[in-house]
Amino acid sequence: MDVSYDLLLNAILSGLLLGGFYAAVSIGVAISFGMLDIVNIAHPAFILLGSYAAFIGNSYFGLDPILAAVIALPFFYLLGMAVYQVYYVAFERRDDQSLRGLSFFFGLMFITEVGLVLIFGVDYRLVQARYIGESLRLGPIELPFRLLVPFIVSMVTVVGLQLFLAKTFLGRAIQAVAQDQLALRLMAANPVRIKRIAFGLSIATAALGGAILIIIQPVEPSIGREYIGRVFAICVLGGLGSFSGMVIAAVTLGIVETLTSTLFGPSWAPAVSFGVLLITLAVRPSGILGR
Amino acid sequence: MASSLTIANVDAGYAAVRVLEDVSIDVRAGETVALLGTNGNGKSTLMKCIMGIVRPTAGSITATIDGAAHELVGLTTEEIVDLGIAFVPEGRRLFPKQSVLENLQLGAYRPKARAALRQNLDFCFEAFPRLKERAKQLAGSMSGGEQQMLALARALMSAPRILLVDEPSVGLAPLLVSRTIDKIKELKDGFNLTVLMAEQNFTQAIRIADRGYVIVHGRIAFAGESAEALNNNDLIREFYLGA
Repeated sequence: MDVSYDLLLNAILSGLLLGGFYAAVSIGVAISFGMLDIVNIAHPAFILLGSYAAFIGNSYFGLDPILAAVIALPFFYLLGMAVYQVYYVAFERRDDQSLRGLSFFFGLMFITEVGLVLIFGVDYRLVQARYIGESLRLGPIELPFRLLVPFIVSMVTVVGLQLFLAKTFLGRAIQAVAQDQLALRLMAANPVRIKRIAFGLSIATAALGGAILIIIQPVEPSIGREYIGRVFAICVLGGLGSFSGMVIAAVTLGIVETLTSTLFGPSWAPAVSFGVLLITLAVRPSGILGR
Repeated sequence: MASSLTIANVDAGYAAVRVLEDVSIDVRAGETVALLGTNGNGKSTLMKCIMGIVRPTAGSITATIDGAAHELVGLTTEEIVDLGIAFVPEGRRLFPKQSVLENLQLGAYRPKARAALRQNLDFCFEAFPRLKERAKQLAGSMSGGEQQMLALARALMSAPRILLVDEPSVGLAPLLVSRTIDKIKELKDGFNLTVLMAEQNFTQAIRIADRGYVIVHGRIAFAGESAEALNNNDLIREFYLGA
């Protein structure tokens, strides 16, 4: 096989950038599934909602898609809190969450998708921004801004949330809430409130993830399904509850997929990435940085 | 200022099973009071009633914190802890996947404790040097004795005025039991606390208790006004000393 050094280097770098995108769409699940034990399989649907929010801001108001997402953040946060409240009252409070809760999120996913189809139709939508289409050239390396900007936004979000979780009382409580709710109450913290805030944050990240998605590729309402498997795989691979692990897993998956696509063709990419997941879990059942 | 706890005529139970009947207990300011009794007599249930985890069917529980009286029945656990009452539950209930330091930081969640976090952390690390050595270790990977120390330290991080400890000796080797009991005394003096301690291990508990109550089948069977009175009580001989 004849693969040039430049091609390999570019494949690794675009894999790294792809990993940044994967991290952005996985942050929310790293919170809800990794820290709160809430299997929110509707998360990719919320990301699509974020994509359409960015689309509206961009095409009707001429806003940068990232800026549109930042404006949408508080609304997504409130939406997340509302969704958690329904989930809590209907399922978690009655200890009914495992199966019925799962079907609740499954239903939510379909409702969101159908809602988007009814409003926006099934056509692909995209956004305009100056950096889409341009590339940063450093010698033989070519980094498209379309991937570079999402990578930076994603990393800033991850670092910001990581600091929040590690340095604030609320953040520490979020990390502990799934381990022992009574113990948390004995620390004077209300676990339901903590989970509501955390789930709100998790959905808020979907606004950013959605903007990033629509910058990278055109979207249609059901495209989120493509990512459900990957997003959960990344969280499990990284180790539940660990943000740094999640980022390492996202980047690993991004690089492995890009390299596989470059060397063996795109159809092998998913097989190889899930192969990586299986092997890692066989060696380290708690994931790369799982506690 | 002084903090005390008064439990008056409390009844409590689970569904149809009545566990506590007309229980009255006084913990005066600055005292260490032992709640004695073997397994299944209602010690833990009484502790849970005080903390708002089990709701009494009758009676009142009043805490006086720094001179202000609060009725605890009807408050949530969070509200009770926020008043300045800390509880070390049976089984310790640490956050096993968080580090020792993270557990201690969580202890200071209560707004009043946050400002004093640094100072209380230094105090805890001084009282429990082992915890300082293991600050980065996950709580779940420590030995039983270390976990009990962490549970005590975490409760103190909330800067409480009243400390409740449920069965500190359970699952510990005899040497560790006496060390834990000594620590409770040391911390009580250091933090100027009022302490109520439920314990099966009579001989250990009585070493640091000013007074004690013996609870049998959910009723207070004997109230000892001094450690001596408890030592010389027939009930205690019968239960603990096999005489």
